[in-house]
Amino acid sequence: MTRVSSQTAQTAGLALGVIEPKLLLPRVQPGMLRRSGLLEMIDDDGGVALTVVNAPVGYGKTTLLRSWCAERPEAVVWMTLDAADDDPVRLWMHLATAVERLGQGLGGPALVRLGVRGAGIEAAVDEVMNGLVGYGRPATIVLDDLHAVGSERSLRSIEHAIERLPANARLLASTRSDPAISVARLRARGGLTEIRARELAFTVDEARELIAREGIALSDESVELLVERTEGWPAGLYLAALWLRDLEGPDEGVRAFVGSTRHVADYLTAEVLTALAPDARDFLQRTSVLDRFTPELCDAVLGREDSAAVLAELARSNMFLVALDAREQWYRYHHLFGELLQLELGREDALALRRRAAAWCRAQGLVEDAIEYAAAAGDAGTVAEVLVEHDRELAWGGRLTQFLGWVRWLPSELLLEHPSLPAGGAVAASLLARPEVEVERLLAVAERARRERPELWSPYVEAIVEVTRSNVIERGDVGAAVEHGRRAVAAARAGADVLSVGVLAALSQALFFAGELEETRRIAVQAVERPDAPDVPDGYVGSLGLLALVDAEQGRAESAEAWAHQAISFARTRFQADSWTVSLAHLGLALACTAVGRLDEAELEALRGERLRRSPQPTVGHAHALLVLAHVRVARSRLEPAASDLKRARRMIAGFPDPGRLPVIAASVEQDLTAVRANAGHRPIVEAPSAAELAVLRGLAAGLSRREIGAQLYISLNTVKTHIRELYRKLDVTSRADAVARGDALGLLDPTQSPG
Amino acid sequence: MSPSRYSIVVEGELGPRYASAFDGMTLRAHDGETEIIGPIIDPSHLQGLLGRIAGLGLTLHSLTPLETENAEPDPQPRTPSAGVTEQNPGTTPEGIVNP
Repeated sequence: MTRVSSQTAQTAGLALGVIEPKLLLPRVQPGMLRRSGLLEMIDDDGGVALTVVNAPVGYGKTTLLRSWCAERPEAVVWMTLDAADDDPVRLWMHLATAVERLGQGLGGPALVRLGVRGAGIEAAVDEVMNGLVGYGRPATIVLDDLHAVGSERSLRSIEHAIERLPANARLLASTRSDPAISVARLRARGGLTEIRARELAFTVDEARELIAREGIALSDESVELLVERTEGWPAGLYLAALWLRDLEGPDEGVRAFVGSTRHVADYLTAEVLTALAPDARDFLQRTSVLDRFTPELCDAVLGREDSAAVLAELARSNMFLVALDAREQWYRYHHLFGELLQLELGREDALALRRRAAAWCRAQGLVEDAIEYAAAAGDAGTVAEVLVEHDRELAWGGRLTQFLGWVRWLPSELLLEHPSLPAGGAVAASLLARPEVEVERLLAVAERARRERPELWSPYVEAIVEVTRSNVIERGDVGAAVEHGRRAVAAARAGADVLSVGVLAALSQALFFAGELEETRRIAVQAVERPDAPDVPDGYVGSLGLLALVDAEQGRAESAEAWAHQAISFARTRFQADSWTVSLAHLGLALACTAVGRLDEAELEALRGERLRRSPQPTVGHAHALLVLAHVRVARSRLEPAASDLKRARRMIAGFPDPGRLPVIAASVEQDLTAVRANAGHRPIVEAPSAAELAVLRGLAAGLSRREIGAQLYISLNTVKTHIRELYRKLDVTSRADAVARGDALGLLDPTQSPG
Repeated sequence: MSPSRYSIVVEGELGPRYASAFDGMTLRAHDGETEIIGPIIDPSHLQGLLGRIAGLGLTLHSLTPLETENAEPDPQPRTPSAGVTEQNPGTTPEGIVNP
């Protein structure tokens, strides 16, 4: 296919699964203050679709959202975002999984879409929204740490979700900075609530309540000084409470703190950490390199065996630690404290701890975490090893942005040692429509590896490189596409059977555009007859479409229709009905319908096929679709639109280095067009009919009587007669049938051509 | 963007342990503020520093580019990702945290 297509059922997307702690609701912490006023601000939900809690770190955003959820009866879909959610497939895979947990089947369709490479994100988002509609009852979706997402594609997908959010759902988000999503429309119609730092800051009364609850005997004056010094920053006040709790003279402590010019968090963290037992302090600091952790992970990283007990105790006694589930399996540090704790750790220590975390995650099969920790430790060797262990799943799964990011991060010496990585990266870059140079650069690294490290080369890598190279068909080099396609098939036969369906489909498409119809048919049959063909939806659907096209061109209309319907209905079951790969089937169906005289249906199918092939740059596939459309329109005597389709196709073809047989098809369409024009006695029109006359013409074409036309257009019978006389004169005809035929040939019956 | 030196001023006096958060830069605390001075190699580097400042709960007071004559290139890539040629800032390496 124009884009490499292959994926196997055995391997699809297994390596990168759902990261459970991202979907866990943090536990409500016992010592936290109830913020009644803020909770009411969120409650006030007269049509509010989106609530954004927007403030710097330490303002209690997560705590607020969490406690609001705890007090409401609605189902909650909670997701903690992080930087890796810049891959929109990862982001929506997690959200779809959470929605699936609301009720079986609610998130499934989205997950199917996301598992297929190159599937549209917006369609998957729509499926998630449909799932929420299907749920029927009120539901709350929480996106915690929205600021962590920065990629354009992920932000646009969230924007799309906000636009499509069903009435039974509302979205709550926390963020440190204004999200780069457009909320102006929501704000204008009162659909947006914003809670900012000003509202989140503690009042003196709230601070007094917090201090009293911790059993600290502090004067009113000291509380006021404390709020003034911390500017009501909740993290500062919680730290102060932790510190003052164990202090002999808390009022003196506050005076010293207020008199100091040191940074609030710096001063207080130092005090709190000093008061901790050395072992607890050491534990906190050394585990602070972990984004999220279980007691087992802590044991492995620290070389101890009692982490479960230490964590349970820490979770009870202070607010550094957030328990992510009731079973005390997963924890994370509060973001701010995690950062502050890490300051104490030497760089070398931090790297060594991360390396150990990577090793543990790798042994547990937590592929993504293993890669991230190894990368953070600067351990490129381990990153490469883990990627190679899972190269097939990663390169053929849905999460290509993430995979490509890791491949690009590796130094080229390592890529040369593992040629499947640059090869897989090139496939990913090509599917993600990244700039041509990026695909080329990765292919060049792979080909350098072929020269310099031939012992590491394999048919698998060869097949990937060649099938990616055959993508030059997109830029109009049909001959080169055939050549690379043949090499890819040879490599797959020599020892990369798993790629067979994809490479056969790619070769067969290249052959079709080269005009080798017999061979196209033979290769496409090989692809669709493989038992694993349905596991490679794009390759399978594309090959079926090619069979439909070839059979239609060779006069086997019935068989062509059967192939086309098989492709279209299969695509529907895989939520691929809007994928460009189905385009070939629609075009085949259009040709088959034309051959048997079902012209209305033919034009509809050709239009569908053409629409699916549209792309910003001219492509061979789109030029071909335009020619099929022109062919069908000539058959319908819709000569003006046909001529314009032909012209567009010709313009594209002129820019292709090797357009294959497209010029031949174009010439044949041109010939038919000229012939029909001559037969129709095509003469240029001297005077254009008026809008009213065109309305009457459409009435005539619909077979209405003159009286019926008058009734429909609210005009008198005499006026209708006048319009018809004028029409006959302008179209230079003498009968109703001729007027309709000539009007159709001129494109006057097309509603889009009319002024109204 | 060629490497330049920047002066970043944040609220509050920071203790020496913050030095590890701003690798390769000099911290000077005085008069209730801390000035962080050092080379910034490109816009991504600057964005990373600002993210770090936000993550540590620090309040930014000012950000001033200093004269480029004094610029000295960063001797070492600062993070594993610094070696990657960026096509599109902010898209790679996805989710890799700075050590």
